Amino acid sequence: MHDVLLKLSGVTKSFGAVRALKGVSFELHPGEVHALLGENGAGKSTLIKVITGAHTPDGGLLEIGGKAVENLTPEHARTLGVACIYQQPALFPELSVSENIGLRLEKPGVFQRVDWKARRQNAAALLKRIGAAIDPDAVVKSLSMPEQQLVEIACALGSGARTVIMDEPTASLTRSEQELLFGVVRELRASGAGVIYISHRLEEIFALADRVTVLRDGESIAARPVRDADGQMQLSEEELIRLMVGRPVAAIYPPREGTPGATVLELDSVGCAVAGIRGISLRVRAGEILGLAGLVGAGRTELARILFGLTPADSGRIRLENQEVRIDSPRQAVELGIAYVPEDRRRHGVILQMAIAENITMAVHPRLFPGGALRFGAERALALEYMERLGIKAYGPEAPGGSLSGGNQQKVALARWLATKPRLLILDEPTQGVDVGAKSEIHRIIRSLAAEGLAVLMISSDLPEILGMSDRIAVLRGGRLVQTLEGAEASADAVMAAALRDQPAQPPLSAH
Amino acid sequence: MAHSSRSFKTQLLRHEVLLLLVLVLEIAYFLNFSRNFGTPDNLSNIVRHSAEIGLLALAMMPVILTGGIDLSVGSLMGLCAVLFGVLTHDWHWASLPAAALTVAAGLVAGAFNASMITLLRLPPLIVTLGTYSLFRGLAEAITQGTKTYRSFEPAFLQLGELRPAGLPLQAWILGLGALGFYVLVHRTTFGRSFRAIGFSPEGSRYAGLPVLWRTALPYLLAGGVAAVAALLFTARLRQARADAGTGYELAAITAVVLGGTSIFGGTGTVYGTVAGIAAIAVLNNGIGRIPAVLKAGIGGELASLLTGALLLIALAAPGLSKLLQSVRKRSTLPASAPPSPSPTP
Repeated sequence: MHDVLLKLSGVTKSFGAVRALKGVSFELHPGEVHALLGENGAGKSTLIKVITGAHTPDGGLLEIGGKAVENLTPEHARTLGVACIYQQPALFPELSVSENIGLRLEKPGVFQRVDWKARRQNAAALLKRIGAAIDPDAVVKSLSMPEQQLVEIACALGSGARTVIMDEPTASLTRSEQELLFGVVRELRASGAGVIYISHRLEEIFALADRVTVLRDGESIAARPVRDADGQMQLSEEELIRLMVGRPVAAIYPPREGTPGATVLELDSVGCAVAGIRGISLRVRAGEILGLAGLVGAGRTELARILFGLTPADSGRIRLENQEVRIDSPRQAVELGIAYVPEDRRRHGVILQMAIAENITMAVHPRLFPGGALRFGAERALALEYMERLGIKAYGPEAPGGSLSGGNQQKVALARWLATKPRLLILDEPTQGVDVGAKSEIHRIIRSLAAEGLAVLMISSDLPEILGMSDRIAVLRGGRLVQTLEGAEASADAVMAAALRDQPAQPPLSAH
Repeated sequence: MAHSSRSFKTQLLRHEVLLLLVLVLEIAYFLNFSRNFGTPDNLSNIVRHSAEIGLLALAMMPVILTGGIDLSVGSLMGLCAVLFGVLTHDWHWASLPAAALTVAAGLVAGAFNASMITLLRLPPLIVTLGTYSLFRGLAEAITQGTKTYRSFEPAFLQLGELRPAGLPLQAWILGLGALGFYVLVHRTTFGRSFRAIGFSPEGSRYAGLPVLWRTALPYLLAGGVAAVAALLFTARLRQARADAGTGYELAAITAVVLGGTSIFGGTGTVYGTVAGIAAIAVLNNGIGRIPAVLKAGIGGELASLLTGALLLIALAAPGLSKLLQSVRKRSTLPASAPPSPSPTP
C-alpha cells in the first residue's frame, strides 16, 4: 500500500470517562483533498492531535507512509511529513516572515552562522510558489490573519510536508483571500500532497474536496467521494448535514413570527472617531432581528462595542425606548438592558476556567446576589434553568466553560445575557465556528427570543445566515451605514453589492 | 477537555491536602526532636510571631487572585510604625486616635497603589516595586534612619500581651482575619470577581463586571492590613522603627503561593493560604529548637533554606510528574531512525 499517505484503523482515545474517539478509520491518498466533517465535539480535534502526535491513541493502528508508527511525538510527526495549519497561526509576531520561515525549516545549530541571503531567497521562493504577495522582510505582526496563514502554508510547503492538515483555514478570511487559499490547496493537491481539510462551510467542501469523512460522536460514519468518475456531484448538502447530526435537519432557518413592535433602539448619526464609525442612524424594534452585514473591518463589531459602552460614542444620539442615553461602560449598558454576546467567545464570551454556573450568573450579580453574598442554591437553579432552556450539554453546572464544545460555549455566553433579561440583544457572529446542529438550535433560540419581543441586532459574516434570519438588513462599509434592505430586496447579491460598492465621497459630518 | 479542568481541580485539592500533610509531619517531627516545641507557651509564641506575616499573607491572597502582586506591604508596615511613633511621641496623641489615623494612612497608601494600577494601567509589579522603595524611604527620612520610638501607653502594649480566653490576642486577630478573607473571597461576589479578573480581565469587562473597582479593592485592603500589622508589630516589640516589616512582603507571597494560589491569578483558596502560613511558621519555630541546630546557632538560616526548598518542591511537583511522563513516552520510541517521507508515487 504505497499510495496511502496516512491510514488510521480503529483508533480509540479516551480522556478519563470521556471516549473522544471510539474506533476511527481514515485514509489519505496522495493528490487528494479529504474533508473532515463533524459537529463540534465529534472528535475532529482529537483525531488531528493523534495524527500530529500531540495525543497518543489508546488503541488502533496509525500508519504514515505505509509504516505503522507508535508513540508518535510532534517532532517525529514533522519528520514524517505531517504539517498542520491551525486557525490561529503560531508565528513569532516580532520577527520577519523570512526569519519565521527560516526558524521552521533550517536545521538548528548552536554556533551556526545565519545565511541571511539564502534564508530570504528561500522564503521569497516559497511565498511565490503559493502566489502570496507578501514581503519576506515584513514583520509578522504587521500581517493580516490570512497573510499569516499563508506564511504557515509556505512553511508546510517548504518542509516538504506530504500530509497537510488545515483546521478551519477560512474562518477569518474574506472572499478573495479564500479564493487565494483554495488555489494554494489545489496546487498542493497537484503536487501530490494530501490535504486534510476541516471546515464548517459546506460550500467549501463541495468546491474543494475529493472525499469526505464524517465524524459523529467519536466514530467515523462515512467516507464518501464528493463526485463520481464523471465529475457529477454525489453528495448533497442535506445528506451531509444528516450524516453529521444523525437526523434530518427540518428547516435550516426558523420561520419569522409576529410583527415588530415599538422602537427599542434608535441611533441618530452616531459616530466614534477612534472606532472609525461615522454618522450611523438606524433603529431596531421590539420583536425584530436587524441583521448587520458588511465585510470584516466595515465597522460592525465597532458599532456593537459603542452600544455596549466598550468604546463610547463621541457624536450623535442614542435613544433607548425614546429616552436619550449615554453608554460609557459595559456596566452602564447592562443596567440599561443592553446585552452583547461578543464575537470571540473564548476570550470575551465565557471565562473558560470558570464553571458554567459562574459564567451564566456573571452579568446578574447585583440582582441575584443582593448585598454581594453568593447564594449557591439560587445560582445553581438559574444555571440549570438556562442549561435546560438552551439545551446546554455538560455534566453539570459546575463543568468549566473550557470543557464544552464551541456550540455549547456559545449557548453559555448567550445564557449569561438572557439572564439579564435585556431589552436589546446584540449578537456578534453568533454561530461562527459552531457545528451545524448547534447552529440551527441557536437560530431557533434567536428567533424565539425575537418572538418574545426582544430587539435583536445580529452581526454575521455568514451570508445565508444574515438572509435567513434577519427581518431587515443594514449593510456597513468603511464605518458608515450604506444601505438598509428589507423583504424581497434583501438578496445575497444586493447585500454583497452594498458591502463592496464604491460610493461617492460623502459630505463631511455636520457638528452636533 | 472536561477531564483536564477537573483533574486540575483535584490537583488543587491534592495540593492543599499535601500541604496539610507536610504540616502534620513537621509537627510530629518537632514534637519528637525539638526542645520544648509542644509546650503551650511555645505554641502561643508561634502564633504571636507569625501574626503580622500571616495578616499580610491573608491580604496578599486576593491581590494575587486578581493576577496582581503587592510588594509594598512590608515597607508600608515600616512607614505605618513610624507614623504611629510620630503621632504618639512627637504630637502627643493618645494611642487610639493615633492607631485609627495609622490605619487610615495604610488605606490611603493602598489606594495610591490601586489608583496607579487601575487608572494608569501600570503593571502591579512595577507600581508596588516603586512604592516598596518609596514607603521605606519615607519611613527612613522621617526617622533619619536611626530614631526608634519607645515607651508606649500600657493599654496599647496590651495588644502584644493580652490573652482573651487563654489564647494570645494575635491568634484571635489572625483567626478573625482568616474568617473575614475567607468570606470575602469564597462567599461574596467580590471574591468571584477577583477570580474572574485573575483568569481574564478582558472577559470580565465583557461580562459587565466593575473591573477597575474590583481590581482596586484588594490593594486597598492590603494597605489597611499592613497598618494593622504595623501596630501589632510595634506593640509586640515595644518599639517603632523604620525597618519594621523588612522582607515581610516576600514571606507573605511565599505563604500564599505555597498555599496553592496561582501566581497568574484565578485559582487559590484562603484556607490554602492559612495552611501555607502555618507550615512556614511551624518550620521556622521548630527548626530553631532542634538541639544540634540550636547549638550551631543556624536556626534562621536553616529555616529559610527549608522554606525555599518546600516552596520549590510544592510548585514543581505537578510539572515534574508531567515531565517524567513525557520523558518516559520519548524513551519508548522505536530506536530506529524515523523513516523518511515516502517518495512520490
